Amino acid sequence: MAANANPVRDDQAAAATNRQPGRTGTRWEWFLWPAVLISFMLLVFPQANFIWLSLHADLGLGQVSDALTGENYLRLLTDPFYLNAFWLTLYLSVATAAFGLLVGFPAAYALARIGGWTASLLLSLILTTSLITVVVKLIGLNIILGASGLINQIVLGLSLSNSPIQMINNEFGVFIGLVQYTLPLMIVLLFGVVQTIPVSLEEAATILGATRAATYWQVILPNARAGLLSSGLIAFNMSMGAFTSAVLLGGGRVRTVPVLIQQTIIQETKYGEGAALSTTLVGLAFLINVAVIAYLFAGGRQRVGQRAD
Amino acid sequence: MASVSLQNLYKFYGGAVVVEDVNLMVEQGEFVVLLGPSGCGKTTTLRMVAGFVQPNGGRILIGGEDVTYVAPRLRYVGMVFQNYALFPNMTVAENIAFGLRQRRVPRADAAKRVAELLDLIQLPGRGDNAVGALSGGQQQRVALARALAVSPRVLLMDEPLGALDVRLREDMQLELTRIQRRLGITTILVTHDQHEAMTLADRIVVMSDGRIQQIGTPDHVYYNPCNRFVAEFVGRNNVLSGRVEATRGDEALIALRGGTRIRVPAKKAVAAGEQVDVTIRPQHMLISDTPAGDPDTITGLVEEHRFLGNVVHYSIRLPSDDVVLVESPAETAPPALGTGVSLTWRKDHALLFDARGQALHGG
Repeated sequence: MAANANPVRDDQAAAATNRQPGRTGTRWEWFLWPAVLISFMLLVFPQANFIWLSLHADLGLGQVSDALTGENYLRLLTDPFYLNAFWLTLYLSVATAAFGLLVGFPAAYALARIGGWTASLLLSLILTTSLITVVVKLIGLNIILGASGLINQIVLGLSLSNSPIQMINNEFGVFIGLVQYTLPLMIVLLFGVVQTIPVSLEEAATILGATRAATYWQVILPNARAGLLSSGLIAFNMSMGAFTSAVLLGGGRVRTVPVLIQQTIIQETKYGEGAALSTTLVGLAFLINVAVIAYLFAGGRQRVGQRAD
Repeated sequence: MASVSLQNLYKFYGGAVVVEDVNLMVEQGEFVVLLGPSGCGKTTTLRMVAGFVQPNGGRILIGGEDVTYVAPRLRYVGMVFQNYALFPNMTVAENIAFGLRQRRVPRADAAKRVAELLDLIQLPGRGDNAVGALSGGQQQRVALARALAVSPRVLLMDEPLGALDVRLREDMQLELTRIQRRLGITTILVTHDQHEAMTLADRIVVMSDGRIQQIGTPDHVYYNPCNRFVAEFVGRNNVLSGRVEATRGDEALIALRGGTRIRVPAKKAVAAGEQVDVTIRPQHMLISDTPAGDPDTITGLVEEHRFLGNVVHYSIRLPSDDVVLVESPAETAPPALGTGVSLTWRKDHALLFDARGQALHGG
């Protein structure tokens, strides 16, 4: 793409590279087939089955009707109980992603700029702690955040409040659970994002008279935009499907969609309704992902469009 | 435009001395090139002028003002980075206008200045392009325009042409010289490429091991290197080791390793028995296939020759087993491989260095 001093030569060179026998000789796409088959078996097939199931009415005791019907979906879209569940799941996920970006980006930025041995050590600590089973970490949080937990003891001890603050078995508890679930991964992802922004860009901005704040807003953030959006999207997706945090820190009282799905299918054996819930959740998440990615690309294409060459 | 004065600059990293007692006065409008191998402290020195590196000792003055502890953004200097460091999220015009925007220059004035600079770098009308759509040389010029937009007091350049291919680099060198002369801006450029240094510099500052080895015009540094490092780093050179046998007046009789005796000018006192090195540049050696009995001649066998178009390079193996490089005009009929040849030179083309590498030929 570089308009070099000698374009003809470059074109010839490029043509020669394409004609290399090794490149055209290997059928790389063959290596994709095992992965395609496995994902078909594990993802596409069950999902299709789920969608099919969601179009049947529940008859009780795990039985579904033979006739196709849209009543499951109709109920989801009209019953405030379900609409509330979707709204709750959505806003908890958005809040988690936003909070993760807010806290994770400065941390990732600092780690990337510190670099070297210190950053590697801290990053591997973050990664290993994030690999500990969610259940173990959530039980620990339960104890600390509980009515007689450490935090409430401090709060009461310092007379900051007369009664224990309710931090678990409510939405706030679930939010904390989701943050601890997604934040480590976000920091690691954002670390990679910051690393793609050379320090020399900041130095260039500084020597041109930019303050720290101006450098951040005009140079660092715009160049991290795609990375911020995609990292946020990953945290959002993880939160939309998070079940353990919602159950253990919500105490069964915070009914996010994954919790509802579990209750509907396992406890009430209403397969049709559960399948409809799950399909709607996946569809909603998918639409939001597509929208964000489309927004990202639209912004990118605008820039490309300016390359009037 | 302003002068730059570096006074007793020091920089340590841990226990390592990176820059040691650097003293340099760059006059207003002068083009000075810091030249040296990687790790010689040249980039650190430049970054101290920019303010990105805080010196451990010494002072930096720009236009007579002490800026040693002034933040980079308040130094009013321009800098061109090795990889250009253009902002990928901005167009060419936005990049060039960045400094003006930070300094609250009115929009209309900024636009006018950007157009001026696009003309200067010969990219008129390309302001709306994305920087990613430009070639390396064009990006380089945009980086230069961005640095110049704010009318800096001093222009700093860190290996600005390093990423370009050879022919483009030569074009850009001419371009840089043209722009620098036209604006009369004080310029400090860092490079490890001695050709680049020679082409661009009013004065070259040769650095090694954190210290300035020599400061001078390109031809002065080339013809009168103050020590062996400069003699070998600036331009190619042959080094012949030997021992002083006798001195007479301004001359020393040197017994080279291998037994040959030659006379070499020695302006500074040198004692008989002292270990010395003699340097003679490849193009200063005259090759001849008639073994002469002349005293100041060395002989050897032609081991290899390489035709380079305008010149031919010969590798000549001496009796001492050293190999010297000789560069001759291509027109002369080449001696065959394996034949014995004698090498002569104009007497003042042989330079003498003592065992510590310091010049004895005087300066």
